[in-house]
Amino acid sequence: MSRWRWLLGLALCGLTDAIAQPRIDLAATPAWNGWSRPGRVTEVDIRLSADLATRATLDVAAGRQLVRANLDLEPGRIVRLQVPIESAAEVAVSAGSPAAPQQRREVGIALSESPLLAVGLATDEPVHLEGFHTVALGAEDLPRNASAYASIDALILDAPTLSALDQRQLGALLVHAAECGRIVILNADPRVRRVLDGTGGCGGRALMSASSLTDAKEMLESSLAPRMGPATALPGIGEFVRPDHVTWNRVLVIVAVYFAAATLAAMFFASLPVLLLVPALATAAILALLHVMQPSPQLVVWSEAETGATTARYQASQRFPSLVRGRARVPVLPQLASAQSCDPTQPMRFDFDASRGRATFAEFDTRLFQQISLCYAGSFPVARAIAIEARPDGLLQVRNAGGVGWPKGVLLAGGLVHELPALGPGDDAIIHSRSGKALRDALVRTAMARIQTDGAVALWELELDGVADIPPQSKAWLLVSIPPP
Amino acid sequence: MSAATAHRLDAMAGLALAGAIAAWWLGSTRLALDHGSDASRCADDALQALWLVRVTALAMVSVRVGALRGWRPGVTAGLGLIAPSWPVVVLAWSAGTRLATHVALAEVLLLAGSVGLPLVGLGLHRLLRKADLAVISGTVLGIALAASAWATHGMWYMPSP
Repeated sequence: MSRWRWLLGLALCGLTDAIAQPRIDLAATPAWNGWSRPGRVTEVDIRLSADLATRATLDVAAGRQLVRANLDLEPGRIVRLQVPIESAAEVAVSAGSPAAPQQRREVGIALSESPLLAVGLATDEPVHLEGFHTVALGAEDLPRNASAYASIDALILDAPTLSALDQRQLGALLVHAAECGRIVILNADPRVRRVLDGTGGCGGRALMSASSLTDAKEMLESSLAPRMGPATALPGIGEFVRPDHVTWNRVLVIVAVYFAAATLAAMFFASLPVLLLVPALATAAILALLHVMQPSPQLVVWSEAETGATTARYQASQRFPSLVRGRARVPVLPQLASAQSCDPTQPMRFDFDASRGRATFAEFDTRLFQQISLCYAGSFPVARAIAIEARPDGLLQVRNAGGVGWPKGVLLAGGLVHELPALGPGDDAIIHSRSGKALRDALVRTAMARIQTDGAVALWELELDGVADIPPQSKAWLLVSIPPP
Repeated sequence: MSAATAHRLDAMAGLALAGAIAAWWLGSTRLALDHGSDASRCADDALQALWLVRVTALAMVSVRVGALRGWRPGVTAGLGLIAPSWPVVVLAWSAGTRLATHVALAEVLLLAGSVGLPLVGLGLHRLLRKADLAVISGTVLGIALAASAWATHGMWYMPSP
């Protein structure tokens, strides 16, 4: 009898083991203490763990965008990832596996209509900047993706908070500084100041160092007065990202050919089978043609820097023209940062690679004439320094004041477009200020709009040949603004 | 009028209907693309218009031809009116948001109408026994059917998914 009991107990234990389900623990915390602004990017810090080894799927849904990551969870190990997302009032984070019930967390994001001043101070001193909404932060509230800095408009950090940032937070902060983000570091020691000195974009004007909170506020207020560097924004380069009419033209030709063929058939053949066969065959042929004539994606990169700056900021748009109803899965360009849908109302799913901390693929529905675009934003190192001297005889002396040569480009000054010759370091060229052309194509119009009063800009088309996975129809420009003398 | 000429006329009328709506759709799509607005709305409207116009034409022609010349010529006339639009329907569906099943169902209904409506005309002819009266009655009935299709199109408007 006791042997039977023992066997029964063993069987029950085995059964319990067999049906044991992993339990997933999920925690999600928004960056910036849950504050952001409408239409900006923010970040959610996610911690996942399981008591049994399992493969889990993590979904982060914000607005009409979904970010999905597949993760291998091991017992006793917490997987932590920071997912950049579009700011939405409610962000739903869910994780589950086939063997475990789904866990779901709602993350609330407060969307401020006023500009946001983020303040990371070890002390609890109140800070108020007129017109701004102040958000008090701890070191943990700062994001690890540079793109999430889009949520705030100004930042004050003191030395203790700065020293509490981890490597990735510091990296994101430095990228933000290079992209002309308004930052005031309070009571930074000389060593930190030296490190930060060379990293600030916009000639270092955006990255400020203050010895007191009052100084910090005054610096921020005075930095708000002038325009901080070239404000690159896709609406400003809208002419480049306008939908082309290649697809429309093709459909027009298809329709015209069909009607011509059907009219000829009706004129020469009066039998019912022929009159039915022509539209039926044409329908099949059109469906086949739409599947065959897939147009290639197009990439437009527009970058801007000030003369002598070490970084250029860029905005890029990768457009996917589509011809058929269906679903497309496209790789996200690894060379470009902060991929997101250009249209927040367009439902899109991103596959997120947790090990690399970035989106790798985007999935979306397609249909004829629809042009879905992925937008990218970021910065890259640049070395272009231009010095222009206007001489009394109406000539412009243009000098390469940097340590690196530049290729042939154009110079836009005084409302005219001048050829800018390739110049080596220290070389100069003379340009007749009245000999320029009054061109007004989309490129020149966009560049002209970036010129400060009495200033000038130099424009170069960038070579993308060496960049891997770039679509064949890609164009990139670098605009360097030269302030008035 | 010979049967061949009648076939040609029906096919040409069907092509003219499809051509007019295709021109309107492509034009409005081009405008939508230029203004950066949603081109799928134009496609959905074009599908709806193609359906309404063909229902109207079918109701007016099929019953009348069925009454005047019999069932087979009525079917031929109906098919000649609806078939030339198929390529435009496929293109508009590709650009729109309507479900494929809804669009296919609409085409099946049109095909069923092109088979069934001449029978109504034929029935009228046999019932009234006078060709002239049957033609007039068939035309009036067809116009009534077309008018009811227009008047009630909001009820069977194909919803977007």
